[in-house]
Amino acid sequence: MRSRLQLGDNWPVLVFIALLAVLIVLKGRFTGFDARSLTVNALPLALIAMGQFLVVLTRGVDLSLGPIASVAGAVMALTVTDHPLLGGLAPIAIGLAAGLINGLFVARLSMPPIIVTLATMSVWQGVALIVLPDPGGAVPAEWGAAVSGGFSSPTMGIVGQLVVIIAGTWLLSSRFGLHLRAIGGDEAAAKMSGVRAVNVKLVAYVLAGGLAGLGGMYLSISTASGSPTVGDGFILSSIAAVVIGGVPLSGGRGTALGVAMGALILTITGSLLYFADVSSFYQSVIDGAILLAVVGSAGARDWLRSIAAVRA
Amino acid sequence: MLSLTAIEKSFGATRAVKSVTLEAAPGTVLGLAGENGAGKSTLIKIVAGVVAPDAGAMSLNAEPIAPRDTNEAIHLGISSVFQELTLVRELTVERNLLLTSAPVTPWGSIDRRKARATVNEILARYKLDIDPAARVGDLPLGAQQMLEILRAVERKPRVLLLDEATSALGASEVEWLADLVARLRDEGAIVLFISHRWDEVTRFCNRVAVLRNGELVSVADTKDVSEDEAVRLMTGQEAVESSFPDKLHSKDAVVLSATDLISRALRGVSVEVRKGEILGLGGLVGQGQGALLESLFGAHALTAGTIAVSGKTLAHLNPRRAIAAGLAYVPQERKTEGLLLAKSVAVNMTYATLGALRSFLGLIDLRAENELVTAAISRAQIRTRGPAEPIHRLSGGNQQKVLLEKWLQTKPAILLLNDVTRGVDIGTKRHIYALTADIAKSGVAVLWYSTDARELVGVVHRVLVMLGGRINAELTGEAVTVDRIVRASVMKEAADA
Repeated sequence: MRSRLQLGDNWPVLVFIALLAVLIVLKGRFTGFDARSLTVNALPLALIAMGQFLVVLTRGVDLSLGPIASVAGAVMALTVTDHPLLGGLAPIAIGLAAGLINGLFVARLSMPPIIVTLATMSVWQGVALIVLPDPGGAVPAEWGAAVSGGFSSPTMGIVGQLVVIIAGTWLLSSRFGLHLRAIGGDEAAAKMSGVRAVNVKLVAYVLAGGLAGLGGMYLSISTASGSPTVGDGFILSSIAAVVIGGVPLSGGRGTALGVAMGALILTITGSLLYFADVSSFYQSVIDGAILLAVVGSAGARDWLRSIAAVRA
Repeated sequence: MLSLTAIEKSFGATRAVKSVTLEAAPGTVLGLAGENGAGKSTLIKIVAGVVAPDAGAMSLNAEPIAPRDTNEAIHLGISSVFQELTLVRELTVERNLLLTSAPVTPWGSIDRRKARATVNEILARYKLDIDPAARVGDLPLGAQQMLEILRAVERKPRVLLLDEATSALGASEVEWLADLVARLRDEGAIVLFISHRWDEVTRFCNRVAVLRNGELVSVADTKDVSEDEAVRLMTGQEAVESSFPDKLHSKDAVVLSATDLISRALRGVSVEVRKGEILGLGGLVGQGQGALLESLFGAHALTAGTIAVSGKTLAHLNPRRAIAAGLAYVPQERKTEGLLLAKSVAVNMTYATLGALRSFLGLIDLRAENELVTAAISRAQIRTRGPAEPIHRLSGGNQQKVLLEKWLQTKPAILLLNDVTRGVDIGTKRHIYALTADIAKSGVAVLWYSTDARELVGVVHRVLVMLGGRINAELTGEAVTVDRIVRASVMKEAADA
């Protein structure tokens, strides 16, 4: 039973490896450049999904993370050339502040997260367009070289993924992580047990905002410019990555490794379609199908388990 | 010394606690007794920091206290256990016990080996044989309640509040708690204890305070208060007759028969219930009684066995088919399985039978609903401000009556009751006994699981006592005594004569 459960928790890793194998077969080779593009392209999603993960653990959801990334990236692209320090710190500060606003409404005022973040999503989408009406601005190339490495070396991309996974795993193994899971499991019970649920949830939203800010920063650095709508694609894909990573939206469970795999899986499908010579229009169809398969298989697994339990 | 001075609390127009002044010295186990709505739960929740008083003052060892939540109360040395469990069911025993005090490594993550050792040591110290890696939600209710108590006591409280903390405990588990409370008392702690079982109040408490309609009517040493006296103080009237209605036996036809039911929790159980009979189901908590009732209602997966109503076998049973076949089930966990907490009394009473209230265009006939609900409220003497009041404002006993009424609307042939008097005061219990007896008299077959052996003795003519997923003993007539039930609950019967 125990080994089966562990396999169950790690199946996103297996799915990713399987997809990677298919990609290698289709392409015939896998170079350092391929590894670099995969890990670097998946990193913004991994960062934002990790923030989403913290919120989902508390049984919440954050629709504003993508637009927060847009604003953070836009501000960076506008300022970093003239004021490197400001340009480097402002995106993170913006992310944390935006997360604090979400957190105050959700945790302090007990408003439903889907409504609060739907509203702030709209606000940040507008702010991004006001700050940077058209794609533009610039990020010096040295930043790109420093963060994503050379064009053919996968080292920085892999290091980035590992840092995200290790930091996420560490956070989850702390008391804070335990309290996140307790709140997702049963918020009232966690409160009565002495968990400061309001503060823990507030911090979850603040960290999620901060991670979205980092994600936006990374997007601007890797494209060397800013775009006011760059984050919109992450609104739903960050939730999809969390779910594909094996985290139920009912909260309380999941691993950082799984979430990082979710981000990699959603990124690799794009390359797969390209090399299978399928129109990229099909990508969102395929991503949706994967999402359904994941949710469906979780349901089927629970069902099989309940049958096995009765038979035993 | 814990002292409460002129504590006052109202909910809307209802004055739940009326200027209560009360003191408890170290080494006191103070029982709070009273009917539902008497204010004892509100009072204990004020001390626990869950409810804020409107007026009045509290002090502990001459220092004024006013906890705003359970956290502050815990810091003041006030630990509480409520009837509603506050463990996180999704997490393991270990995680729950160390939720706020898990040992951490120098780099901030939880030290698992140390945590496991700590939990093993705690469980051993409290003589509990529970797997620290088990998910709390998978444990029987009794074990969950014991963990809840353990966690409260482990905080080394100066004041321990036990609000219906024995409601899910079997007899030996109550003894375990009694020993624990006695030890705390000897160490100089103050314990406030609420239980609806008077024998537990006398067993646990050296002082008892009786509340009635929010007022404190008496504080005395427990040994000076007789049971009759207590009932008189609580109800404000003389205890005229026995709290139980006349017992019913029935020689009518068998309505419900289940044969060789086997499942995760049942190991070959056969039951027959006759028309007009109340058949009792007893035994320690978690011996398959709940699973039996749920399987009869189609809500518990069976691997083998047949269930028949009036001779007709029901295949592929699910709750919808069970209702159609004339079954009704009042669950134990009324908050999670029975009630729509945010909805009104009226909605809660009628949503199983909305078809009958359908009018023109399929809309619900609100006037008919209102009449029906008003009639039910007065018949069952439900204490509420009206059909539109949200059900969560009602006391536990009155919520339970609404649930009973809800199922009576379906005009069932068979009524399954799962420990419906758990956490309900004596007065409401009496109403439920009388109501159930009337239901049975009208020709309904009733199967009643109760964790309270005295209640079974009072209400039923025939009892099945379960042990380890089997029927361990069937007791009839004169043989239905507390001694026999308790004996059959804990000791395997040799082929019962």
